[in-house]
Amino acid sequence: MSAWRKLKYLLPSYRHSEERDMQEELESLAAIAGRRELGNLTLAAENARTVWGWAWLDGIMADLRYAVRVLARQPSFTVVAAVSLALAIGANAAIFSLMDAVLWRDLPVREPERLVLLDRNSLSYLAYSRFAQNAGSAMEGVFAWYSNASRRLDAGGGAQRGTVELVSGSYFPTLGLRTQLGRGILPEDDLRSQPAQVALLSHAYWQRAFGGDRGVVGRPIWVERARFTVVGVAPPEFFGLEVGSVPDVWIPLSTFGSVFSGPNYLDHSSNNFLYVAGRLKPGVNAAQAEAALTPILIQIDIERNGPPATEAARKELLQSKVTLTPASKGLSWLRRRFSKPLRVVFLMVAVGLLLACVNVMGLQFARAGGRQRELAIRMALGASRWRIMRQLVTESAIVAAASGALGLAMFRPAANALASLIGVGGGQTARLVLPLDGTMLWFVAGVSMAAALVSGLLPAWRATRRSLAVGVPQQSQSMTAPPQRRLAGRVAVSVQIALSLVLVAATCLFAFSLQQLRRFDSGVRRERLLVVDVDSNDGGYKDASLVALDARVRGRLAAVPGVAAVSYSQIGVYSGRTSGDAIEADGYQSRNPRDHQAVFDQVGPRFFSTLGTRLIAGRDFEENDTPSAPKVAIISQEFARHFFAGRNPVGLSFSTWDKQLYRVIGVTGDVRHYSREKPERWFYLCELQSQKRTPFFSTRFVVRARSARVVNAAGLRAAILAEDKALRIDEVATADELFDRTVDEDRLIETLAWGFGVLAMVLAAVGLYGLLSYEVTRRTGEIGIRMAVGAQKGDIMRLVLREVALVAGIGFAVGAAGSAALARMAEGLVFGIQAGDPRVELAAAAILAVVVVSAAWLPARRAALTDPMSALRNE
Amino acid sequence: MDLIQGTLEMLVLRTLVFGPLHGYGIAKAIRSSSNEALAIEFGSLYPALKRLELKGLIACKWETSEHNRRAKYYRLTSAGRKQLMEERSKWAEFVNVVSLVMGPNPGEV
Repeated sequence: MSAWRKLKYLLPSYRHSEERDMQEELESLAAIAGRRELGNLTLAAENARTVWGWAWLDGIMADLRYAVRVLARQPSFTVVAAVSLALAIGANAAIFSLMDAVLWRDLPVREPERLVLLDRNSLSYLAYSRFAQNAGSAMEGVFAWYSNASRRLDAGGGAQRGTVELVSGSYFPTLGLRTQLGRGILPEDDLRSQPAQVALLSHAYWQRAFGGDRGVVGRPIWVERARFTVVGVAPPEFFGLEVGSVPDVWIPLSTFGSVFSGPNYLDHSSNNFLYVAGRLKPGVNAAQAEAALTPILIQIDIERNGPPATEAARKELLQSKVTLTPASKGLSWLRRRFSKPLRVVFLMVAVGLLLACVNVMGLQFARAGGRQRELAIRMALGASRWRIMRQLVTESAIVAAASGALGLAMFRPAANALASLIGVGGGQTARLVLPLDGTMLWFVAGVSMAAALVSGLLPAWRATRRSLAVGVPQQSQSMTAPPQRRLAGRVAVSVQIALSLVLVAATCLFAFSLQQLRRFDSGVRRERLLVVDVDSNDGGYKDASLVALDARVRGRLAAVPGVAAVSYSQIGVYSGRTSGDAIEADGYQSRNPRDHQAVFDQVGPRFFSTLGTRLIAGRDFEENDTPSAPKVAIISQEFARHFFAGRNPVGLSFSTWDKQLYRVIGVTGDVRHYSREKPERWFYLCELQSQKRTPFFSTRFVVRARSARVVNAAGLRAAILAEDKALRIDEVATADELFDRTVDEDRLIETLAWGFGVLAMVLAAVGLYGLLSYEVTRRTGEIGIRMAVGAQKGDIMRLVLREVALVAGIGFAVGAAGSAALARMAEGLVFGIQAGDPRVELAAAAILAVVVVSAAWLPARRAALTDPMSALRNE
Repeated sequence: MDLIQGTLEMLVLRTLVFGPLHGYGIAKAIRSSSNEALAIEFGSLYPALKRLELKGLIACKWETSEHNRRAKYYRLTSAGRKQLMEERSKWAEFVNVVSLVMGPNPGEV
């Protein structure tokens, strides 16, 4: 009741009428009793107003109004401070949001903490079915999905590439997802006997392809050549279970055959292509569930491979075990790969924010110097120190609030730009959901207020510390500035330089690392090498016809002017693709199936000479390695070391999983597909000898140009389309571009480090210039006297610069220690350079020294040009 | 004589039991009923009125006085009456307890 009445006083109109009423009452009483009798009526009224309880609000409003006036009178300070804080706050918000999406956020489904992944690796459809049928004792539900298949999508407006995720009927019910529109895919849609051609759209695809039309349910959409009916739209925050990708469309797993030509994986117990996850029953823990699921795993193995033949195999089979992985945050190799880079970048951004705060703090020190007279007068008039500090901090708070608002405005573009730096391989960037939600608003508000306190409290405390006596007479402020105030300014400069050095050193470190990476020898000569990706799916090519097509296209590309050599492959280089097989090699034995694993590629003739990869022994594939010739293979150095240790592999043989025997004709140097990769056990088969060539992978042609810039993409495209109009050219890129994409983490850090390094230098320059100008202005009188008694211009400049050098020196020393700490964190993120390399420190110090000297030069010159007469007259 | 903290509001409520009064009237009434021992400063009485009004213990209305002057008259609300009863019993208890502790006047023993 009382609180409600009090709230009414917040209304200005109510307060005005109450105020009038009170004045009237007091006047009427004065008329009755006489003023003397009643005493100090103003005080009575003032005390009555405090009863209404909003005096503090009035005070704050007055502070705010006054602060806005003060700030408006000093637009240059206000703009510099607000913009530099806004840049830092926006960057912090963007990084925070990215870290939240990649590292911390739970899946937007019902009780995500009960979700577990059944196996880190993919499983077969058979395995999924058995788990789904028999896991009821431990699991509330088991579901599977086949992720991110790139397929042709047509929503009625023309075909485009899109990503399709095939999900089991149990997927949406087990996750407990609420759709935005319509329904999810249900178990009855996913019957093998009767696949329902229904599709759930992602929110983004719905917006993109249907313009967010709410009447989309029931409309048709084509996936490849099959017609599906839209049954619903997923909520915007749902991206499936894989962080970093958002499928465009979800369709039932049972429709696999209608969207993929070639073998239907659902019928093959050997194709491990599904991720399988489930929801634990309430009260069942992961260990209990593992125990319950392991017999099912063993049954699956027996169903697939038959009962174990030997006692040893039986024992080994009994050792197998289901390993559950918590999946509450979804699956994310992004998390593994980017968690450290993101942390380092976050640290840099935080240092950037601190720098911006110190920068504003320095400007505040300088500004407070110019306001001594005003503050002293206000204190002399009876304002308490606390009251004036509150006023000054209010000014900082306004600046910080403005920066927070600006930072929020920058959030969307900054977050999107950051997300686009996170690559997921194959030239694709991560698709992350980065909402501007309550968490972000709280984060920005918190950071802004912290910035206000950090940048405003100390200067306010300093500014109000002076006694009245010093301020009001105000004769010669420049000569008698108390030493502690000058100390504060100097400390601000030192801290600024130290923080800048940390950022600039980090920038140098990452720039140097990336330069080393670009020079990295991956086993392929990248210069003048182009990669052309050709998809022949629409032409209906398969097996022999596809093998023949690849050879014909190779011939056409070789005829394009300026082309020196052409070959092709399925995996190729830097493509992000991989394909594995189990190997039995002459004279190699191991019980562990992992030891038999190798990766392989089917390539065209003269593949290695086209790539410029070194052949250590033997020969390259030739045009006459045809099906009638003996089956041959080329192996990598690592393959040779692993399977044929110590022997000359050329002439030896190995067999693949399908028992086909290959004779080794050559050994190549190791090709690394990304910089930090360990050499893998590669073997290469000649596609010309292949009977089976599924159109699963498109063909990646590699084209070596005679000289730079002679071969243009248009010529290559025309040559390919001349073969068949139905061929689709998905990508034409230089090997350098492709290689650059493999260094995503480095690219992320490098780009950000550059951004923040430059920002740091700009902030440092602005802040130093401001502080030093202030110092010089304050010492105008002193300088005037020095010049009057015979100091030369050079002496004055030396005087100013010497002081800067001292302060800067301290900053450099502290900064060097700080950047050494940051460098230790960056260990393992940099390539080809030790994190604590002194060259990096020196380069950073040199760059920053240039900035400091230029920032100091102008004020020093101004000091030297002081006219002694006018300087002294001002006193 | 100084007032114990918080008793001013109780006195105001008590004074208004006899009927509505304006601000100055309340001050005068307290003074006369205390045999001039309590000279309440108007500067502290007035905020106390506002506090009571905010709590809903008293209400006010503009009226014309016996000398044909307009003034704001305060009266007890039912909530104020209840509050006064409570305060009175609390006060009685307080006086009892304190006199128990203090005992008879030492000079009389």
